[in-house]
Order: sequence, then C-alpha cells, then structure tokens
Amino acid sequence: MGTATRADALPAWHRRRVRIYDREAPLGYLLLVPTLLILGIFLLYPFLFGIWLSITDSELGSLGNFIGLGNYRFEFRNTDGVFYGAVVNTFLYTGITTVFKLALGLVMALLLNQAFPFRRFVRAALLLPYIIPTVLSYEAWRWMFDPTFSVINWLLVNAHLVAYPGPNWLGVPANAMAALIIVNIWRGTPFYAIAFLAGMQVIPLDLYEAARVDGATRWQQFTNITLPMLRPVLLVVLLLSTILTFADFQGPFVLTNGAPYNSTQLLSIWAYQWGIPGGAIGLGAAISLVLFPLLTLVVAGVLFMLRRPE
Amino acid sequence: MAQGNKKAKVGWSRREFLKTAGVAAASIAFPEIIIACGPQSSGAPTATIPKPRKGASIRLLQWTSFVKPADAEFKRQAAEWGDANGVTVAIETVTGDQLQPKTAAAVEANSGPDIIQMQYAWPQLYTDACLDVSNEVNILIGKLGKPDPVNEAYCKVNGTWRAIPYTIVPNAWTYRTDDFQQAGVTSFPKTWDELTSAAAKLKATGKPISQTDGHAYGDSLTMWNPVLWGFGGKEVNADGKTVAINSKETRDAIRWAQGAVKAGLVVHPEWLDPDNNQAYHADRISGTLNGASIYIREKIEFHHYTDVTNNAPMPSGPKGTFAMNLIFNHAVMKWSPDAETAKAMLLALMDKDQYMKWTTVASGYNAGPFDAFHNDPVFSADPKLKAFQDVVAPGKWPGWPASPSKKTAQSQTQYIVADMFGKALANGGTGDVEAAVAAAETSLKAIFERP
Repeated sequence: MGTATRADALPAWHRRRVRIYDREAPLGYLLLVPTLLILGIFLLYPFLFGIWLSITDSELGSLGNFIGLGNYRFEFRNTDGVFYGAVVNTFLYTGITTVFKLALGLVMALLLNQAFPFRRFVRAALLLPYIIPTVLSYEAWRWMFDPTFSVINWLLVNAHLVAYPGPNWLGVPANAMAALIIVNIWRGTPFYAIAFLAGMQVIPLDLYEAARVDGATRWQQFTNITLPMLRPVLLVVLLLSTILTFADFQGPFVLTNGAPYNSTQLLSIWAYQWGIPGGAIGLGAAISLVLFPLLTLVVAGVLFMLRRPE
Repeated sequence: MAQGNKKAKVGWSRREFLKTAGVAAASIAFPEIIIACGPQSSGAPTATIPKPRKGASIRLLQWTSFVKPADAEFKRQAAEWGDANGVTVAIETVTGDQLQPKTAAAVEANSGPDIIQMQYAWPQLYTDACLDVSNEVNILIGKLGKPDPVNEAYCKVNGTWRAIPYTIVPNAWTYRTDDFQQAGVTSFPKTWDELTSAAAKLKATGKPISQTDGHAYGDSLTMWNPVLWGFGGKEVNADGKTVAINSKETRDAIRWAQGAVKAGLVVHPEWLDPDNNQAYHADRISGTLNGASIYIREKIEFHHYTDVTNNAPMPSGPKGTFAMNLIFNHAVMKWSPDAETAKAMLLALMDKDQYMKWTTVASGYNAGPFDAFHNDPVFSADPKLKAFQDVVAPGKWPGWPASPSKKTAQSQTQYIVADMFGKALANGGTGDVEAAVAAAETSLKAIFERP
C-alpha cells in the first residue's frame, strides 16, 4: 500500500517554494532583499549620484558633461582661502565638539545611572534638545546670542563677569565659532548620554560587586569595568556623531551662515552656497565629497576596533 | 441721386463709423487684442491671450511678505480669479531664505509648483526650467507700458522673457526724527559724507545709525553694493567677464565706510535681515536701511514711534546716487501641466486695478514694475513713503554694470562685496583694506573666470 507524503500531494510550484524556505542560505538572501532594496534606493543611489555629479559640470536642472576631477582641482587651486578655511573650520568644529560631547555625555550617563528621585523624569527631560525641532532651537540660540537682546550677556553683565555690553557672540570670528561649538555640544550631548546610559544598564552588577569585594575604588571600577564594557557603544556613538558633525548644516546655517566674512564657513555651507543658490550642483557635490576619503578611513578604523577581540 | 450716393461714400458711412469706433474702444479697453491682431509689418510682437482651463489646479510658491495683509490680499485675488474660472488655486508662502532651496529642489526634480517667484537672477540660474513668457510680457507692456529696467534685466535671458515682472521692494533709510533732532541733525543726509557726520552725532546720543555687513540675504546687499557704485567701484566690467574690483574707486568706497564706522556708524556682521527691524522697534537704533516694513509695521501694528519715524532715499556718492532693491518676478515652470492657465492667472493678477488694490494693502512695501504703476497713489497718500518711490529709479542689480548672469548670482550669494566691506570694517573700521580687496578679487576671479 503506497503512502503518499504531503509534499507529493502539493503542486510542483508549491513544492519549489517550500524547498526555498527549507534551505537556510537562499532564504537568508531572500529575506535580505527588501533591506538591500531600501538601502540601494535611499543610500547607494544618492551616494553614487553625488559622486557622479561631482565629476561633471552639472548645473541645477541639467546634467552636465564628465570633467574628471575638474571640480576638485578648482577648489584646491582656489586661493581666496574660503575653501581651505572651511576645511580647517570643519575639523575644528567636529574635533572640539566631539571631545566635549564625549566627556559630558559620559559624565551625564554616570550621574543618570545612579538612583535618585524623579530619575525617569530627568532622563526623559534630557532628550529635550533632541525633541525640539532643530531650526527652532537654533533660532532660540540666535536670539540668546543677539547683541541687543542677549539673555546670556544680560546674565554675564549682571553677574559682573563681563563689562557691559558683553561679548558680541556672532559678530566676531572667534566668538562666532565658539557659539557654533557651544550650541552643537548642547544639542549633541544628550545623544551621547542616552546611548552610554543604555550601555551602562546592561553591564552586569556582579562585576561591580566582585570589584568592591576586591577593594577596587570607584575610579578603578570605572576604568576597568565601565569603560571596557562600554567600548562597543562608545565606538558606535563616536562614529555616528563624527560623521553627523562633519556634515552638520542646519545649525551653522541658521546661526551664522558662514558670517562674519566666511570665518565660520564650514564645508557643508560652502557646498550649499555653490550648489543651491549658486546653481553649480556639480561643484557643490565635489565640495561635500572632499572629506569622503578621510571619513572612510575614520569609519574603517572604528569598525576595525569594534571587531578587535577583547 | 447718383451724385448724392457718391458723396455719401466719400464721407463716413454708419457701418464704417461703428467699425472704427468699435476698434478704437476695444483698443482702449483691451490693448492686447490690438497686439494680437496688429499688422506684423509694424514690428509689434504677436500676442495670444492665454486661456484658463476649467478644472485646472495651479500652485504658486512665493516668499512670505513682511506685510502680512499683502499676502492675504494676494491670496484673495488669486482665489477670486480661480472661482471665476473654475480653477483651483493654491498659494504657498515660505520665508525668503527657504524659497531658493525649495525652488532648487523643484528644478532638480523637474516637478513642483506651476509658478515660482523668482528673486534676483534666478531666471538666469534656472533658465531651462522657466517657460518662455515673452507673449504674456508683451501683453502687459501693451497694457501697462515699459517694464522697470531692473525687472527686465532679471527676467530677460538672452532676449527671451523667462519671468513676468511682478514687483519691486524698494529699500530706503528709515530713521527717527526725534533722535536726529536731539543730535542736531535737521534732515537725513543727502550724501555719504553727510551720513558720516550724522552717524557721529547720533552715536553720541546712544542710539546709532546701524546696518548689517554680514550675510543678510537682503539688507547687506542693498547697503554695500550702492556704496561701492556710488564711489565708482564695480565687481566686474560690463562684459561680465573682466573682474574690476581692484580699483581706486573700490578703495575710496571702503575708506569712506571705514571713516563712517570710526565716526559712529555701527555695523553688525551678525545681523540677518530681521535684526535691524527688531533693533529699530526696540528703540535701540536711530536709523537703518531697509524695505518699508519697519515704517509700515510701526504705522499699522506697533504705533510706538509712528509720528517720529520718517524715511529717506539713498545718499549720493561722488559718482551719483545708486540703490539696490529686492526684485521679484514670476516664472511659469516647464513641468506645469497647465502652463496656459498659470499664465492667464498671472496676467489677471497684474491687471492694473487688481495690482493696485494689492499695493494699497501692501501700504508702500511694494512698487509696481511697469510704467503704469509709477504714479501709484499709495506713495502719495502718505508723504513719508515717497522715499521708497524715489529709490526705484536709481536701482541696479548686483554685478552691475554687467548684465545679470549665473556668475553675478554666484557672486551675490557668496556675499563677496559685503564680505569685502565686512573685513575692512572689522575692529571698529580698522581692517586691512588691501587684504579685503585682494580676497574679493580672488573670489570674483574664481567665479567669473570659471569656464
């Protein structure tokens, strides 16, 4: 008496489908397809298109002709100093803000990891700089830095820390750069703090208890347990933050737009000025991609450290 | 009898009279018909009146006026026209600095609003995206007379009208008469040198004359370009290629500015366009260069200093009087599925009666771009607004005497002239003049000598 299996009873097309589902590797690739499609459409295509634009003389609304590295040569050979100034400013801006955000974020996370009243409320409140729309918060900062109406200057003057009328925050090159950095730190620190806090929450408490039994100080606990255990989170946050700060546009655009006289010019704003109001989208793309090789090295370095065994 | 008939034919028959009178009346009421039907041999361009399509939808994108009721009136007129013609009209307004990114995105995507307000030299930047509207401009010229030369320079690209002249936002000086009197200045300065003297006296009262020399979208350009021209300086020659900023005239202009700042003119590199308005309304400054919005808002909204606020045209330099005003025009975009409807709507909005209803609501913030608007009663109804009418005629554009182009637009958006003055005016007007001129020259050469 023949016994028909369930597979035999199914039509051929259905049997094929079942076989694909049963094999791990093809199924894995199949499940990856939607993600790859999304990444391809929203990340890879714009990125490759940006590279293509940067090696053409394209203008807004019309794709230009291939000109090789002409746009890059143009900026590197330009001696008016704006481009090189923007490169230096971008590094300064990213470097200083990253160091401060890292340090302050870590301190903030350590404090928030302690038990205290209204802990949940304070943790939620930390995200405020992130919740407020960027442009709105930067407009508020602009108002606070305004020489005529500055609440910061009012406080400084009334606390007798500076003489009236106080510093001209956005009108003097060094002050304007400092203002940009302060606001970026204000906005970026909670991101670091929340990420570090999440990382700290998953560190087993046994490790700290064992360390205490062995007589480790708080500092030793921090350097020998907290920091090593936070390393993956720390590196990812550092990587993301560095990339985002290098490309930061909204804040600097609203606060100074490169003024006074290009002293706060960043690569992102300079690329915008050429590409959008100036219509030279090819050149704008080239300016925005200038740091790509360097950023690639940074990303590769961080990824290498992430993969490195303990 | 026969002779009588002959005689009658020599004079005007009733039919001939009616025909001639009808044509004459029609030509007065609808001059575009004459343009459209006129003999080709006269050299007059042929014009065809665009017809709206019932059921069409039109989106128009433009900036948010500093005089809010003007936007409301514009929207009302557009909606009224839409209702009358069975067209759905949507007017979208954004701030001035948002308009260009939105425009650029639409141009790059080849999709977006049917009509976009073009500011400054955008028709030169986005030429291919703007439809030829020569036919419509010719109709308007037939009705309203010659267009303003600055609007024409911006709208006409290589002999083709790429935008329809829309409006001028004149920029003049707004000042406090009480502060000026207290400082012993009896009238607003007529020359830049007189402005230096007045600035010195006003500074002593604690309420200086102030202006931006930073990256303000409008106020920085409208100040420092006229100063440069007034002393004979220019960015580039009329050929639009030869950079000419490195000149004695440019240095004269900068040295005047340094002298003015040392004397008491207060410049703010950190100020953007709204900042001088706020400082004036907050009683912190006694005078500034701006559109009429400061005065208009005092008059219709704040009422704090209306009686002691007056306006004055641009002072003269050794080479004459120059002004720079904000110039807005409307382009019909090539992707519009209802371009004819869009053109018909713009023509309706530029109708003299409609337009002057709008300028009346705008209270003098806007001036019309055709001859027919030169005697707009809005400027005579309030004598204090006359200054804003006076600055229209001496108006020029960034890059003048070269025609507006992509290059002049790039120079403008990189604030090269303003930055040149800004550098020289740093540290109380003691910046390095030669370094400022050299940097400007290098930047301009990078733009104008770029292939």
